[in-house]
Amino acid sequence: MPPGYHGCYLRIDLSVGRAERVSLPDAVLRQYLGGSGLGAALLLEEGAAAADPLSPEAPLVFAFSPLVGSPLTTSAKFAVVSRSPLTGRFNDSLASSGFAIAGKRCGCDAIVIVGRADACSVLVVDDGEARLETADDVRGEACHVAEEKLRLRLGADFRIASIGPAGERAVRYATISHDGRHAGRGGSGTVLGSKNLKAIAVRGSQRCEWARPDELIELSRDLSRRSFGPATAKYRELGTATNLLTFNRFGTLPTRNFQSGTFEGAARLSPEQLDAGRARTRASCVACTIGCEHIYPLGDSGVRIEYESLFALGSLCGVSDGDAVLRATRRCDELGIDTISTGGTIAFAMECVERGLVDEPWLRFGSGDAVLKAIELIGAREGLGNLLAEGSRRAASAIGRGSIAFAPQVKGLEIPGYEPRALQTMALGFAVGARGADHNRSGAYEVDFSNKVNRRHATLESVGHAIETEDRAALMDSLILCKFLRGVFTDFYGESAAMLRAVTGWDVTGDELRETARRIVAAKRRINVLAGWTPEEDTLPDRFLDTPLRTDPGAVLTRERLQELVAEYHRQRGWHARGQ
Amino acid sequence: MYVEFLGIPRERVGLTELRVQACTLGELLGTLAARFPALTGLVAAEGFHPSIAANLNGDEFVRDPDTVLAEHDHLLILSADAGG
Repeated sequence: MPPGYHGCYLRIDLSVGRAERVSLPDAVLRQYLGGSGLGAALLLEEGAAAADPLSPEAPLVFAFSPLVGSPLTTSAKFAVVSRSPLTGRFNDSLASSGFAIAGKRCGCDAIVIVGRADACSVLVVDDGEARLETADDVRGEACHVAEEKLRLRLGADFRIASIGPAGERAVRYATISHDGRHAGRGGSGTVLGSKNLKAIAVRGSQRCEWARPDELIELSRDLSRRSFGPATAKYRELGTATNLLTFNRFGTLPTRNFQSGTFEGAARLSPEQLDAGRARTRASCVACTIGCEHIYPLGDSGVRIEYESLFALGSLCGVSDGDAVLRATRRCDELGIDTISTGGTIAFAMECVERGLVDEPWLRFGSGDAVLKAIELIGAREGLGNLLAEGSRRAASAIGRGSIAFAPQVKGLEIPGYEPRALQTMALGFAVGARGADHNRSGAYEVDFSNKVNRRHATLESVGHAIETEDRAALMDSLILCKFLRGVFTDFYGESAAMLRAVTGWDVTGDELRETARRIVAAKRRINVLAGWTPEEDTLPDRFLDTPLRTDPGAVLTRERLQELVAEYHRQRGWHARGQ
Repeated sequence: MYVEFLGIPRERVGLTELRVQACTLGELLGTLAARFPALTGLVAAEGFHPSIAANLNGDEFVRDPDTVLAEHDHLLILSADAGG
């Protein structure tokens, strides 16, 4: 077993009440590292593609990584990996903070959960020993309340990841929350809820050794020093919320369900307007020197705001009332639902109302009260909320009458805050993403906001850039390091190899890690293929094809062009015409 | 020409936009660096830090200090990491 690893995972079968340690061969660890990569390898091992995502036999993986527990800044992260109940495809969602460190100290590199508990329970993993406890006292509680109550019950040294009421009610885009952060996309919380688990609590004392501690400490110091510099200033000083005005200025801010790229109310959602002159506070995850969290005052407490929440519950729904967006974000956090999928699905329903396809006249673009009401209905799965809890693709299937053309999703996952017609390298990244449209798995928007491409007219040259950003994301999600660090690296693969050498002692090189990244992307794709993926899924909704963006007539992405880009992507990946 | 600031440059400068006379990108950046000490380390006549980007008229991203600017150009200076 290499340093940095425990060399095993803990496999817990809730149906039979058994926990066992399963060895992880060194070769698997080196090929897939940890986080998303190791999670994908374990899903393949467990035959996850054959199981319905919400069936008892479906595995849910909490994967740690070799860098967790090291002094490297931002390394306290974990990945939750499964088939998505929203997309039916591979899903990995990441979150940060003490759960990752405590989970790894349980003496395992991952926790794999299969089966289903008899009653709503809390899975307690105490130094590697697993048991179920009742969740009666936290059933129906908001994420943060459940977390706090369980900490009081179990002890302050436990770290807890919990679902909210939405996860208990099988809303298909429920999150797993820990310490105010969320493993947010694709319905990881729905899968946990389907196993009758309200939460998982971890505590441990088993530390991993490092191969070259002096070297690792020196690398960590250097990385921390650079993390204070200009490359992370935006996250530290302003937070991602500042993106909203930038995107609006470039006409790439999705507005009213992607009907427009600019929002007349954007200024009211700027950070300066949102905090209304009251002091905004900052926070950070455990073991992070960036401190990107900006907490906006709301009532007698605060709410953490990111660009994606701001766009999805703001401009996408035509809402410029900052207070309403803050309240909506906080309510999503409490219920434990992904703000992007929530906003995307509500915005889709608003357009359906506008077109006369849905008879819910209260659900109008621009109404913050309507967004708040819709969120409550979704969390409770009541009335229209029962349909919207299924996500925009399933809702469109039920509504019919061509509404799938403007359901804002790829593979069933709602599209984040980047207008694909005006950011066409990103459009490709969305179309081919293994978990659907996602900005954390493809950072191709960076290329669009550079002089490398014409963002309104993607060419085959764009494909290599999209692959490069996807590979880099796959490696960061497997090491694991926060993507907000990405700007500090001058030689990302080489520097990553140096960190990994110091932790594991492997003679790993940057070139090897490039191959590793490609292997991990291919493993995700392999799971999708086994789960029934077809090439037709690698596309965008009709809304984005052939029709210019209303607010930017030069931004046109033809169906033929996207198909060429996707085909070239498959070719460069070494996959044949069926994308395998 | 008009210069508009977004993101970190806007925060450091404390302005949304201003009018500046310059024939090239390098000349413009030099003027800004001299006028706004808060931009030190981010903007200089020789170019700008990788965390900063410049866009001409909403279309083309530019980095070359020799880029020629016209009187009616509109230059946006922003944080390069535009995503979330």
